[in-house]
Amino acid sequence: MSSVSPFDAALDLLRRLDPTRLKEHLHNLIQLDPSLAEDLLASVDTPLTIKRDPKASQREYLCCDYNRDIDSHRSPWSNEYFPELSAEDVQESPFPSPRLRQLEILANDSFDIYRDLYYEGGVSSVYLWELDDEDNFAGVVLFKNGNQSSSSWDSIHVFEAVRTGHEFTYRVTTTVILHLDKTKQMTLSGNLTRQTEKTIAVPAAQSSSQEQLNVAHVTNLGTMIEDVESQMRSMLEAVYFEKTREIFHQTKSSTLTTEEINKEAHEQIIKGLQGL
Amino acid sequence: MSSTAFESIISQIISDSPSGEITEVWNDLIAIAGPSAKDAILDSIEQYNIQNTVPVDIDGKSVIISSYNKEGSKFYDPVDHKLFSVDHLNRKGLDIEPYNSTTLNTFQQTILDGLQNYASTNFPGQVTLAVYPVVEEPAKVAIIIVSTKYNPSNFWNGDWRSQYIYDSSSKELEGNIDVQAHYYEDGNVRFKSAKEVRVSNLDDVVKAIQEAEEDFERNLDTSFSELNEKQFKTLRRKLPITRSKVNWGKAIGSYRLGKDAAQGN
Repeated sequence: MSSVSPFDAALDLLRRLDPTRLKEHLHNLIQLDPSLAEDLLASVDTPLTIKRDPKASQREYLCCDYNRDIDSHRSPWSNEYFPELSAEDVQESPFPSPRLRQLEILANDSFDIYRDLYYEGGVSSVYLWELDDEDNFAGVVLFKNGNQSSSSWDSIHVFEAVRTGHEFTYRVTTTVILHLDKTKQMTLSGNLTRQTEKTIAVPAAQSSSQEQLNVAHVTNLGTMIEDVESQMRSMLEAVYFEKTREIFHQTKSSTLTTEEINKEAHEQIIKGLQGL
Repeated sequence: MSSTAFESIISQIISDSPSGEITEVWNDLIAIAGPSAKDAILDSIEQYNIQNTVPVDIDGKSVIISSYNKEGSKFYDPVDHKLFSVDHLNRKGLDIEPYNSTTLNTFQQTILDGLQNYASTNFPGQVTLAVYPVVEEPAKVAIIIVSTKYNPSNFWNGDWRSQYIYDSSSKELEGNIDVQAHYYEDGNVRFKSAKEVRVSNLDDVVKAIQEAEEDFERNLDTSFSELNEKQFKTLRRKLPITRSKVNWGKAIGSYRLGKDAAQGN
């Protein structure tokens, strides 16, 4: 029998079951083994939800496990949790340090401009948190765009930034959840994930202000996220519109020529030989 | 958790699995729920196989199991006159014995021949066909086509399933087509489509099926293009309207100034 851990088995299952029912299956798996709850909720990306910030003119912000405390979510605009937590709970709630909050404000402002340029709509939010070493930090950059309920795009970039001397290494894990639906006819739905890493020099601490360092971080992360989103967009287009269509035609094709059937058979033979 | 709740969760998970990945799902579920869950999982897989008209291996021949060729806990192949039990996890026949209670009449045999001819040029996957008499209603016959292409080493699997009831007295064909493709390299992407088919007053049942299925295939190709052009492309641009990448850094705010100026704010 296999000796796969329940957690790895759960991740494998979620990669096989219908992605449009991800939340349901996540819930089912947690019922089967409640001890998986924390790890699964922290590592499985589900579609983002939107809340409004009553202290920032009802401006929308994005919610995920990273800005959640109890059943409330911290807004990047007012830096408060909604629905409001009791004074006692807020004492315990996670907030970025004042210094990191400055970077968070700048990042939200910059990625909001990026969102407008690429998405021409939708919502963006950035959340940061401290890592053990005070120079280092981690965060998540989120975008959501959609029209009605028939299509939606959720980008989730989870990253950490770690200093070595004058350089920072940024590790970004990107997941895009893309759902497309033609009523009663077909659905194309799911997610793709990719990881990127870059090490970039930043201005030396003694010769620059905190503000200059913040600008450097947002520039570095912004450039990386812009690149990875462009690559992901091409990948998604290839998988959703070429790959799945090609798989479909591998099961049914009324226009398959003898030549194609032969080519297919030939490829199978070569694969067979390579497998020897 | 009550045993009904447990069985319902197992059944929801199994019924949502791609047909080509049942073994992996079985292994995963045992790793999560423990070996005591085996019976409940097998029960769900049995229901899945019958509902999804899954082909099983009977002495080297692929035979579809369904509610139409079920007799007690066994199934039969009316073409090769065999009765068998099924190892539902491995999709193999067991205790195979001769069987002559239900066989195809000449008309049903003609449909099967026509179907084989059609399938040989239209289904490049692993294709299995079934023509089963509907025992309680002699005018009716069940027709099933299953075509699969599995490529787990390249992280994708595809399934075609169409099934119909043809009523030779009213000359009506009714049924549905269900297809899906699963791609799971660095992610999990599912394409699904289904369509109900109804044709009345037909002369040639195989020809009617062929036309309905070609029509379905053509419409899907159109839908793929439409979803790409009308929905995907509007979700996120390839490049900003400025046609160049974002100028990050302190000056990024100037995009906003530019926009406000353009809007006369």
